[in-house]
Amino acid sequence: MAKTPYKPPTQSAIGQTFDTFFLLALVLAALFVPLYLGLAGGGKTMLELKDTSWTGMGQNATMQAQWEKLGFTPGPKTEENATSAAELIAARFDYAFDPVELAVTALVVLGYFFIVFHWSRKEYRDVIDERFNGKK
Amino acid sequence: MTQTTAIHGEKISLLRVLGPGHVWALGVGIVLVGEYMGWNFAVGKGGAIAALIACWVAGLLYTCVAMIDSEVTSTVAAAGGQYAQAKHIVGPLMAFNVGLFLVFAYTMLEAANAITLGYLVQTVGSMAGFPETHDKPFIVLTIMFLAWLNYRGVYATLTFNLVITAIAFVAIWVLFFAVQPWSSVYMKHGELLTGLPYGWLGVLAALHFGMWYYLGIEGTTQAAEEVRSPARALPLGTMTGIITLLIAATMTWYICAGIMPWEYLGQAVTPLFDAARLTDSNVLMVLLFIGTIFSTLASANGCINDASRAWFSMGRDRYLPQVFGAVHPKYRTPYRSIVFLVPVALVFAYFAPLDQVITFSILSGLLEYTYMAIGVMMFRQKWPLGTIKRGYVHPFHPLPAIVLLLLCSATYFAVFLGYGTQLIAMMVFYIVASLWFALHRYKFVRRGAQFTMPWPKPVGY
Amino acid sequence: MNNFQLLEYAAWGLSALLGLWMLIDLIRTDRTYSEELLTSSQEGEIEDALVIDPTHQGGHR
Repeated sequence: MAKTPYKPPTQSAIGQTFDTFFLLALVLAALFVPLYLGLAGGGKTMLELKDTSWTGMGQNATMQAQWEKLGFTPGPKTEENATSAAELIAARFDYAFDPVELAVTALVVLGYFFIVFHWSRKEYRDVIDERFNGKK
Repeated sequence: MTQTTAIHGEKISLLRVLGPGHVWALGVGIVLVGEYMGWNFAVGKGGAIAALIACWVAGLLYTCVAMIDSEVTSTVAAAGGQYAQAKHIVGPLMAFNVGLFLVFAYTMLEAANAITLGYLVQTVGSMAGFPETHDKPFIVLTIMFLAWLNYRGVYATLTFNLVITAIAFVAIWVLFFAVQPWSSVYMKHGELLTGLPYGWLGVLAALHFGMWYYLGIEGTTQAAEEVRSPARALPLGTMTGIITLLIAATMTWYICAGIMPWEYLGQAVTPLFDAARLTDSNVLMVLLFIGTIFSTLASANGCINDASRAWFSMGRDRYLPQVFGAVHPKYRTPYRSIVFLVPVALVFAYFAPLDQVITFSILSGLLEYTYMAIGVMMFRQKWPLGTIKRGYVHPFHPLPAIVLLLLCSATYFAVFLGYGTQLIAMMVFYIVASLWFALHRYKFVRRGAQFTMPWPKPVGY
Repeated sequence: MNNFQLLEYAAWGLSALLGLWMLIDLIRTDRTYSEELLTSSQEGEIEDALVIDPTHQGGHR
């Protein structure tokens, strides 16, 4: 059965401009909303360092030599001791997570792919029908 | 170059001038910067040993990507790469998403490169006694200069890339031999390696930035409409590219892990440059400074090239406003797409922190690889071997696709650890964009005409 | 004012210049050629035969 090909409307210049800016706004929102809400890059903690001498921070002689060569000093980080390595050494990721959050995230990712593949299959059928138009 | 008089139906297209060397330069050029910066955040997420495991596991992931990519792209040779492939294999909505993955992954990577370059100039400025140096002017200049280069033509752009990528690659080799890996003069792995600070969970988490060693190698396919013989040059360039990167990644890890404490390495901005500083050799320092600058330039350059090709192809199919489907009559480049993406890259490079930008880039890449694993299975199903001509057939199908899918799942979990919010934000973005496309934008798209490959009807339709 | 500051101003200046160049060329190109010709590229065209190269026809400047 020969179907008449789908004739898309031509988009006006205003429509094209609007669509462009809509996408641009969406892209910027995706990056900056989490940043401004302070939600991004969480999951970091600091080790409590009681002793901030090199050995107290668990650094052996070789490590100490390399830190010093890179321009770092031992001791707690203060105004006078701006080159202290203490904060770098104490920084840790916090991998404790909520299984519910994990489940929700997994569901979102899976759901996303499911919807996209499903919807694509419907649109694809149209494309193939029209392209091959009943031909082999 | 063809020269014909203006006849009815005259057309402009992209220019076919590139050889396999350019393809290699495009692929490796984008990625090699990953060795100069970014990969070391994997050390921060799991320790130095975890980073090495992640380096090789991610290497396996990308070997699968390269094999799958080579097969599909040697068949679907069109600008837009994976976007055009998704359009032919899966369907319009998936293709739209893949196109966005590409543009995002590359534009973010471009921003990350500009940030690194600015930081490096700032470091050198303060080392030279000007602590008040700003990084912003150099960030902006990088993006502007490379956009301008891209605007002016693909041949010069990628020849430039070939030269600077080769220099950056040689710089890693020189450093590798200079630190005498066979002796313990500089290399002190015994004293510096501290086991796994986060245990095996850290190894998994490190996969997140382990991808950074290779991210972007799949960009070779974007050059499909500008390569002289795509069916041969694209697989060749891609496969030699991934081999180059596997070697460079392992060498980089070996040098850096043997010379710096992991707490520093895990947070350093320019690890290879720091490694050179620690050798006390001014020559090496200058060489690795040049290497870092060149690798960031090569990468940003390739990213502009790839992102604009993807944006251009989507415009051409009216997935995006059709004005973006324009080709410059003189320079034969998708000039409007190039110009449009400049402010986007500028905003990200100017305002966003480096690890966030990298994470967004990695996530988009990850979504793309997930698609590729499923896409190649559908490709083999709809067009079994023998039904269409393939320039390259990847071995052991469907094993690479399954491995790729498993590794992608592990990497989603790795990103979730520590960057869960961004993962969700990103998914929300793609879901909203998908709805917008399916409900609004798709009505402007021609249906049958977007399927451009001269293939038989797919099996099962 | 030191050397690095000079370099910074040079970087800003050069960026502006390159940006301006692209913008002007973009506008000029858009006005010189018809939209139909500019967006005439098609996917999947392996043949170069029908492709013109206006640079060789001269005289569009």
